[in-house]
Amino acid sequence: MSENEAGGAAAQLTEAPPQEPAGPLSRPGIGSLELFGVGIVLLAVGQRWISPLFNGLPALQTWATIFVSIIVQALPFLVFGVLLSASISAFVPPTVFAKILPKNKALAVPVAGISGVVLPGCECASVPVAGGLISRGVTPAAAFTFLLAAPAINPIVLVATAIAFPGRPDMVAARFVASLMAAMIMGWLWLALGKQGWLRPPRKPMAPEGHRWRAFREAAEHDFLHAGGFLVIGGITAATLNVVVPRAWLNAVAGNELLAILALAGLAVMLAICSEADAFVAASLTQFSLTARLAFLVVGPMVDVKLIALQAGTFVRAFAYRFAPTTFLVAVGSAVLVAKVVL
Amino acid sequence: MKREVQGPLLMLVGLTTLRISVGETYLRYVKEGLQPFLIFAGVVLVVLGLMAAFGKSEPTAADAHAEGHTHMDGHNHEGGPTIAWLLLLPVMAIFLIAHPALGAYAASRSGGGVARPAEEAFDPLPAGDPVEVKVTDYAARSIWGGEETLRDRRLKLTGFAVERPEGGWYVARMSMACCAADALPTRIEVRGDVETPAVGTWVELIGSWEAPEKTFTDDAVPVVRAETLTPIEQPRVAYE
Repeated sequence: MSENEAGGAAAQLTEAPPQEPAGPLSRPGIGSLELFGVGIVLLAVGQRWISPLFNGLPALQTWATIFVSIIVQALPFLVFGVLLSASISAFVPPTVFAKILPKNKALAVPVAGISGVVLPGCECASVPVAGGLISRGVTPAAAFTFLLAAPAINPIVLVATAIAFPGRPDMVAARFVASLMAAMIMGWLWLALGKQGWLRPPRKPMAPEGHRWRAFREAAEHDFLHAGGFLVIGGITAATLNVVVPRAWLNAVAGNELLAILALAGLAVMLAICSEADAFVAASLTQFSLTARLAFLVVGPMVDVKLIALQAGTFVRAFAYRFAPTTFLVAVGSAVLVAKVVL
Repeated sequence: MKREVQGPLLMLVGLTTLRISVGETYLRYVKEGLQPFLIFAGVVLVVLGLMAAFGKSEPTAADAHAEGHTHMDGHNHEGGPTIAWLLLLPVMAIFLIAHPALGAYAASRSGGGVARPAEEAFDPLPAGDPVEVKVTDYAARSIWGGEETLRDRRLKLTGFAVERPEGGWYVARMSMACCAADALPTRIEVRGDVETPAVGTWVELIGSWEAPEKTFTDDAVPVVRAETLTPIEQPRVAYE
């Protein structure tokens, strides 16, 4: 296994069997934990020598301040959101959902949508949760409405939006109405046009048997790490747009109303930021109109590269390829309509 | 991402959060009111990290989940999401790039017009000679119809110096609505018989109001005539 020892972390990541006992010292060779440790030491030591190098680069410092501020601002919301959604996935049995929904499918759609308010769900969790709901007998239309609404209209997201756009409660209201509307339209569309064959028969839902606290802890860890990674991508993009992209380009795109809306909607799909945090990225895009930024906020929790991948994996590819573009169009349309009325 | 790294990574993010929020570093990035929530978040992350590092990790429902269907979203089957490595970036940025609050560079780049304020009427300034006025307040009054409240008073402004391309300098402050990411500058042109400070120097300026070139438009630039100028330390809260 000499190539492992020389090759280090990369080789080990793809080859390690799952049943090896955990514990940092049980695995021979250079593992990612050791590399991590070395990195920390370098950080502590390097601070003294590397920091001054950056002092003469105000552009980089400004970029870094903007980048860090998005992360720092979003962090408490992300943590709250993750704690809440982990508790729900660990402690609330999915049968609760099946009980509160009306039997009439068309009515179940709006009820499922509204219930997204009380059930914070990071979009990371919403796809598996929807799969779990369907396997428990919840009608797919309602499950999808919930999948789309919960990440967008839960209280943490709304508070985050209020903080990101101070003095503009209409922005919060607009996000709520537009997201709910888009979710419900998608639910009804499924009722009218959906085909059972597009759903892979969902597996038994992952019920945490017995170890609820462990399920909670692991869900919280996993969700935070996952969401945090995507938040960093969002922060990098926003900071770069702010400092590196020439003002003239941004003004050109932002100046054309239609282009601005499509650009930010597209950006929302590419960036896949957790909905608790996306308001802060939107707030930083000051050159763009509120309508365009609303489109960013409505589209993001509903369709992005991460969600599309999850949907293709949990349901069927044919489903994902239909669901995503339709959701995108409905979300953008919803945002524009609501913006005209509310903002 | 290996299981073993998840715990330390969470702890690192948590400790970094605590490091900037206990103390005043966080004020460079966000508003004061966020401090308790930041501290809470930091503590939660450290606790989660500790539990992850020292808790049991036999295969659980999560692993069954991983084997059950393919992950195409940046996951490694054994352990946590690969994308989480990116969390090291803000940690490194905080430690290695010892950056001050947004200052002269940002203030010289952005638009810097004076937006129309929400309220129509301006209350008279409190008594005092000189009376302390915020840069943003001075600018709003100057441009949007409040100059009567500024006339014939000695005023004290605190800001940092920004170069004026056409010569001379501005005294400026950054304001943030939500956080440093959306911070916009307010700039006031400084005239008068004072020495031009180095770009980025924080100063306390005592002077009087002078009429700007234009008013009631988004791109008008307010003017102040300075009598005295004192260099100062950056205030605790750099943003207005």
